[in-house]
Amino acid sequence: MTSIILLSVFGIINLFLGFLKSNKILLPAVIIFLAIVFGVNFLDWNNPQSHFNNMLTIDNFAVAFSAVMVLSLALILPFSRSYINSGNPHLAEFYSILMFSLVGAIMMVSYENIIMLFLGIEILSIAMYVMAGSHKKELRSNEAALKYLLMGSFATGILLFGFALIYGASGSFNIAEIASFSSNTTATDLLPMMEIGVLLVLVGICFKIGAAPFHFWTPDVYEGTPTLFTTYMSTVVKTAGIAAFYKLVWAVFPGLNEFWYPTLVAITVLTLVIGNIGAAIQTSFKRMMAYSSIAHAGYLLIALTSFNDYSENAVLFYALSYTVATVAAFGVLKLVSDQREGETYEMFNGLGRTNPLLAFAMTVAMCSLASIPLTGGFFAKFFIFGSAIEAGAVWLVVVAILMSAVSIYYYFRVVMAMYMKEPVGEKVAVDGFAAFMLIFLSIFTFIMGIFPGWFNNWL
Amino acid sequence: MIQNVFYFLCFLTLISGSMVVFSRNPVYSVLFLILTFFSISGHYILLNAQFLAAVNIIVYAGAIMVLFLFVIMFLNLNKENETHKSNLSKFAAVIAGGILLVIMVAALKDVDAGTYKAEGFDSQIGMVQNLGMVLFKNYLLPFELASVLFLVAMAGAVMLGKKETGERHF
Amino acid sequence: MEQAIYTPYDYLPIIVQFLAAAGFVAFAMGVTHLIGPKRHSKVKDEAWECGIPTVGNARTPISYKYFMTAILFVIFDIEIIFMYPWAVNFKVLGTEGFLQMITFMGLLMAGFVYVIKKGILKWE
Repeated sequence: MTSIILLSVFGIINLFLGFLKSNKILLPAVIIFLAIVFGVNFLDWNNPQSHFNNMLTIDNFAVAFSAVMVLSLALILPFSRSYINSGNPHLAEFYSILMFSLVGAIMMVSYENIIMLFLGIEILSIAMYVMAGSHKKELRSNEAALKYLLMGSFATGILLFGFALIYGASGSFNIAEIASFSSNTTATDLLPMMEIGVLLVLVGICFKIGAAPFHFWTPDVYEGTPTLFTTYMSTVVKTAGIAAFYKLVWAVFPGLNEFWYPTLVAITVLTLVIGNIGAAIQTSFKRMMAYSSIAHAGYLLIALTSFNDYSENAVLFYALSYTVATVAAFGVLKLVSDQREGETYEMFNGLGRTNPLLAFAMTVAMCSLASIPLTGGFFAKFFIFGSAIEAGAVWLVVVAILMSAVSIYYYFRVVMAMYMKEPVGEKVAVDGFAAFMLIFLSIFTFIMGIFPGWFNNWL
Repeated sequence: MIQNVFYFLCFLTLISGSMVVFSRNPVYSVLFLILTFFSISGHYILLNAQFLAAVNIIVYAGAIMVLFLFVIMFLNLNKENETHKSNLSKFAAVIAGGILLVIMVAALKDVDAGTYKAEGFDSQIGMVQNLGMVLFKNYLLPFELASVLFLVAMAGAVMLGKKETGERHF
Repeated sequence: MEQAIYTPYDYLPIIVQFLAAAGFVAFAMGVTHLIGPKRHSKVKDEAWECGIPTVGNARTPISYKYFMTAILFVIFDIEIIFMYPWAVNFKVLGTEGFLQMITFMGLLMAGFVYVIKKGILKWE
């Protein structure tokens, strides 16, 4: 709860810091703010409380996911150096909107009332529509913002209709009351209404996390959005969406398990196949990362289909390792594409010779995303699959492993390009902060891969 | 009497709602949208939710429609640059929408929502006083956090809308 | 204090007034069309009949400043809406309610100050 208040206040303070003559202070200020929020967030650890008439419940689940999301933003922001150097007049707005959107993301993981979930999704989505169009003079960015806004609004409308039907059937927005209504099998008269509501909510949330068949916006929007904010979309937004989804299916609709389970499994398989096959046929690295984020949503959905002692931790671990690897990959992409004007695989040609550090960080990130042992990604998938096998969904794991094999092809294309091809351009200039972050992210990935136990028994 | 008013309002809402979609001229669409909002306000009045009815007219028919008109004026929509969708996508849209309709009707036709219970019924539940008590007691947190939503919208509008010095103003 | 009971029937006078207004408009327009003289000519049928030939199209782009003002108006309009239910219950909610509203307004006023400092409402 304190973290939400602090983030709102810090967001406003940051908005006003933008009026200062120099914008050099903004980035350190935001990092300090986020560090404070990260620390304060843990005050609620092992001290589950519900606030404001059961609107929010800050339990360990909420604290852990909030921590991952605050950390993601703190990891992403150091790569915004090019905005500072170019004297972008809207830097303070960028940072503030991202901080406000974290408020929405935290609401999404700690909601106790459907209204809070909806408000959180709205805050996060509206911030993202704005950020998608933040490069005003770039046609691609405008296109991404418009596409995201139009489709996102429809998805929100569908979600809201679902909530309305659920409210109509159960007579409450409180998730405990909805859960007790849906597990009460005698209330059959209103059950179809509830089921349609659940179905529409599934559609809305699947759109927000970019799961197939509601993924069509993802490649276009991710490609057009400025790289910094694409990183935010594919890490924080996805983590918040998956955590909200997890809570939704297992805390709100557990009674309707038999109804939504087949739908969710179908969505999972479709997401895995479309994400991985789609990524394999891309020529643009950024578009490949968009499809890869769809694919990773698929792996996360596997954990959603199983509910046992392992699944919560598996989702958390996966979100963390995916975030770290994705931030590193997009960070390198941002540094390279800022200077080489393009986002194709060819742009990375010979990076291993001109910039060994960037190439190394990218290789580690790709290994982690492709789940090669010794990296965090390996154990992330290991825990997810373990949880699914525990729940008896062996065939789902088989599909996922086959698709992981496909993923090695496209993740290693960029590694091959970096080390096997002739350099295409000059050495890419890297500022010290970004270099430090890339080293940190690589080490973090290795730590997660070598000591997974440190991160796997929080919840 | 009330029932007839209800059916009339439903008819008006649906007709004007579909005219929003079918009108070729975007300005007509906006005018029909205003009519839709007014008939929805009529529904609110029938439900005795008078505050919502007034707010719906003030905010939607008043403020948001002005924004819609602004956007239409911005878009510079003249006849010649209007693009036509291919028949295939229209066909696909009709099928998808039709399937949704069939599913909704099939699932919801058996629902027995019941009627109101006379002993627990409070006709004044939608009045602004009761609404205020619910909003400021039970739903206080969403209310406060809505201001964060407004701040995001405000900062976003400023960021996207502000022209840099030296740019044209239109 | 005993609350007054409101019902949808309270809106009957408003509907009657609405119908009367619409009826008068329809009546006046119909009658002028029927009894007025009809003269058609090229000049007479123009949208602006003032002796000066019309130039260009009415749908020219307009300055973004109107739009910024309008969009900020919508945001503050919605904010005002929240104040009605609060004002009606002002006495019941007491100091606590006052502080809650101050918090809400404080956040939005911070935004308002920001907008003014940013120079969005300046008309040059």
